[in-house]
Amino acid sequence: MLLKLNNLSKWVQSGGQKVFLLKDISFWVNEGDFISIMGPSGSGKSTLLNVIGMLDDFNEGEYAFLDERVHNLKEKHRANLYKQYIGFVFQSYHLIDELTVKENLEMPLLYKKHGSSERKALVADMLDRFNIVGKKDLFPAQLSGGQQQLVGIARALIANPKLILADEPTGNLNSKQGEEIMDIFTQLNKEGVTIIQVTHSEKNMTYGSRVINLLDGSIV
Amino acid sequence: MAWRNAIRQKQFAMLNILGLSIGIATCFIIGLYIHSEMTYDRFHEKGDRIYRVNQPDIWGDWNDISANTGPNVATALRTDAPDFEAITRIFNTGAQVVRTNEQNEVNIYNEGQYYAAEENFFDVFSFKFSQGDPHSVLKEPRSMVVTKEKAYQYFGETDPMGKTVEVKDWEGKWQTYTVRGVLEEVPYKSHIQFDVLVSLSSFSDRLNVHGWKWIWTAFSTYGLVKEGTDIQALTSKLQEIPPKWAPPTTERIFNQKFEEFTKGHQWTLYLQPLKEIYRSSTPNFNTFGPAGNPMYVKIFGAIGVLVLLLSSINFMNLSTARSSKRAKEIGVRKVLGSKRRGLIKQFVLESILFVLIGTILALVLVQISLGTFNAITDVQLELLYYLSNPLFIGIVVVFILILGVLSGSYPAFYLSMFRPVETLKGKISNRFRGKGIRNGLVVFQFTISIALVICTLFVQKQLSYTASMDIGFKKDNILQIHNIDQIGFDTEILKTKLESNPAFSKVGKSFGLPPNIWTGDRYKALGAKNDVVQLRNVRAEGDYLDVLGLKFIAGRNFDASRTNDKYKVVLNEEAVKMLGWGNQEDYKADNPVGKIVALASGDEDEFEVIGVVKDFNFNSVKQEIGPLVIIHHQNDKVWDYGAGLSYYSMRLNTDVLGSPNDLQEVIDTVREEIAQVDPAVPFEYSFMDQDFENTFIAEQQMGNVLNIFTTLALIIACLGLFGLTAFSAEQRVKELGIRKVLGAKVSELVLLFSSEFTKLIVISVILSTPIAYFLVDDWLANFAYRTSIDLWVFAVASCSAIIITVLTVSFQAIKLASTNPIESLRTE
Repeated sequence: MLLKLNNLSKWVQSGGQKVFLLKDISFWVNEGDFISIMGPSGSGKSTLLNVIGMLDDFNEGEYAFLDERVHNLKEKHRANLYKQYIGFVFQSYHLIDELTVKENLEMPLLYKKHGSSERKALVADMLDRFNIVGKKDLFPAQLSGGQQQLVGIARALIANPKLILADEPTGNLNSKQGEEIMDIFTQLNKEGVTIIQVTHSEKNMTYGSRVINLLDGSIV
Repeated sequence: MAWRNAIRQKQFAMLNILGLSIGIATCFIIGLYIHSEMTYDRFHEKGDRIYRVNQPDIWGDWNDISANTGPNVATALRTDAPDFEAITRIFNTGAQVVRTNEQNEVNIYNEGQYYAAEENFFDVFSFKFSQGDPHSVLKEPRSMVVTKEKAYQYFGETDPMGKTVEVKDWEGKWQTYTVRGVLEEVPYKSHIQFDVLVSLSSFSDRLNVHGWKWIWTAFSTYGLVKEGTDIQALTSKLQEIPPKWAPPTTERIFNQKFEEFTKGHQWTLYLQPLKEIYRSSTPNFNTFGPAGNPMYVKIFGAIGVLVLLLSSINFMNLSTARSSKRAKEIGVRKVLGSKRRGLIKQFVLESILFVLIGTILALVLVQISLGTFNAITDVQLELLYYLSNPLFIGIVVVFILILGVLSGSYPAFYLSMFRPVETLKGKISNRFRGKGIRNGLVVFQFTISIALVICTLFVQKQLSYTASMDIGFKKDNILQIHNIDQIGFDTEILKTKLESNPAFSKVGKSFGLPPNIWTGDRYKALGAKNDVVQLRNVRAEGDYLDVLGLKFIAGRNFDASRTNDKYKVVLNEEAVKMLGWGNQEDYKADNPVGKIVALASGDEDEFEVIGVVKDFNFNSVKQEIGPLVIIHHQNDKVWDYGAGLSYYSMRLNTDVLGSPNDLQEVIDTVREEIAQVDPAVPFEYSFMDQDFENTFIAEQQMGNVLNIFTTLALIIACLGLFGLTAFSAEQRVKELGIRKVLGAKVSELVLLFSSEFTKLIVISVILSTPIAYFLVDDWLANFAYRTSIDLWVFAVASCSAIIITVLTVSFQAIKLASTNPIESLRTE
């Protein structure tokens, strides 16, 4: 089992009242799963993804990741945990505009203190694998949306994570580009990478092996 | 609309206006100071036609110009220069003792600002009278004009007109003077400052009998030219006067032909316009009131402009930085059909509004801080006086418009250039092209600030260096009693009393005190063909040299028990060198002790050298040590025997004096002892170390002002940097969020963010170092004794600048790096 949520709740205080963002969420994810989180806007999909990614806190319940009890971990330890095992893919790519494709790819490795030659090798691998060697010296603004998301995925993968969290990865892409991206996710999943994606699209949902439907912060 | 924008962006507006106000306030204060310095002596009705007659310093370096002339320059001008409508003289009598007897109460005053002026003085100069007729008050001998304040001091509420006071003349006799005029006050901005003026005719016997008519340089001569006089032509005509009139004086006094006396120099007469007298640095001897310092005017002027520039840069910087935030607003406006001109107008208006608020705030700041500034710099600036002046208001309005348009136009033009589609997409905010310029401006600001810091540190270093340097004797713990000359020449009774006081380890009398030994005369080594040299001289008894603790490197001190010593002299090393007797190493072979020095005037009296003292600073340490002859106090062959001021100096016995109270008690005892000897002697005392310190008052004041302005410049630069970091933080929040998600630690992010700014500061440090070095080197060249230009000062200034930067930046950096990345990465 990769991770397990048990009765997890998150709320904010608003005018003396608790407003639940997530309520009594319980589910588990095995290694090799491809899960789609679905639900209307404001149902708490992204919040759930952020909690899983350890970018956000929760108020109640338990969260275990690879047998580590995340809710008991210190900030620093938690950061190390997600740094090592989790890769993020965003709807609006979130590439750094001032850096080239190559440098964008290299960045996660810098923060994991990989050696220079190792970094080079890994970056070269990724460029190769996603067929973007020719684009390595371009800046994000010079790429199409699909290409940018490709770089985003490559960046998420470069540190060899066990889990990829993707927040509407195709939301800003046209359907053809979206299909390509989803094909890549499928391929990765076959290679053993666990994927959790948040999506609106019924079509994208079909790529996953399991669906979690959220409404107003609860699983339905 | 502009107003609403200002309110909306509170932090931005506050930073912007605060920085601007400080800059404008500084500029105002400096402007007031410079204006005040440049507008002295403007109250004289015939001011544009008044000129002071200057000539070379005939008692020192002939290349120096002096405002002091002999009495007969005026009489010669009256005869030979009909272009003058009037010539008037003012005579520096030196401090005088005035005795009043009102309602059987005798009071003694020592009047420092006491001069004698010719009867037409008030025809030429327009001082405001409250009583008396300006044209005749100084006509009769022993007439006196006093200021209202002085009159009140002398006579209280009673009418001063026609009252009499007594003034001690140079022979010690009391002479009666009658008050014939009362002045309102002498304006602060006048280069002639006096409390008491007496008629020059009171001294007519000395003026007429005295044979030193061209070399008795205790007078200033002023001429009122006729309307439409060609000053250049007049000046060249004047040059015929000294060769025509001065030769009898030089021949009689020095046995020298005129050409011999001038040593090939031209005895030029210069005409200096009244308006330039105060503000120009030459001639630097101006014995009737204050003199300006054009160097300070220049330095402060430069600082004022720089500080204003810095704050304007801030303003532009923050505006352009902020503008990217408003790019969207502009985009929307453009899409809605707003014209470019309209946009520019809006931005410029906004900028003018800011400058206006900043200026008003600055005026308030100036009014609040002017008192402190006046106290520190010893000037009397007033803002409210200017506020009623339409010209000043005009200048301020023009200033607001210019600065507003200038500061506003760059962001205005820049922003209105944005293409609406791009701005709406948010493209501009990511790759904002003004970055290079903004960074350049930050570098410029910090370069100036750091250079100022370095200069300030060196000014302080130089001041403490001169305060603590070895001046050849121990200047601490020397108490000096003034006005001893008024007791009379024989003061042994007082000396015995002083010597019996255990608080004094040594007591000695002198006729001058370091650092103010200015008297000098022409000497030569005995021998046919030796050159005449100009040496400083001071009369003193042997004990005085012991009070100072001078070191004898050859010969001996005066010995009170040897009556022969009174025609002997002691020289310093420099004087020995000037007389051509070599350096200390040469003394073994050719000892100056036993040689003869002769006065190069009158009967050429000869004096034997009995000792040589090691050089010591008898003037301010701004100057090199000059040559000095120490004359025995009883030497009656030198012309000033029996005249001049004299002092008793006491070395304090620090073993006996424990607390400041003890010292006060000792001073009170001395006061009583002097009163017992002669109650008519005003009691004044001073300490030598303070007198030396006082020679640096101007530098000290400049140092204080520089400290303030440097701090302000730094504050402005930091405000700018703070604003810019805040902006940059906003811009980079997404990037840093991404980095954090990808695993960057907070510390790594802080470093990444700060390093960009630290880099700029490092560049500034590199740029400012040579600039500061040049300025400091230039300033130090004014001093004879200079502190070394040490590297550590640069290092300290640079490190502090970097620390301040890091503190300024890290506030934003830490705030930013600690933000939860999901806040910044949330997709809208």
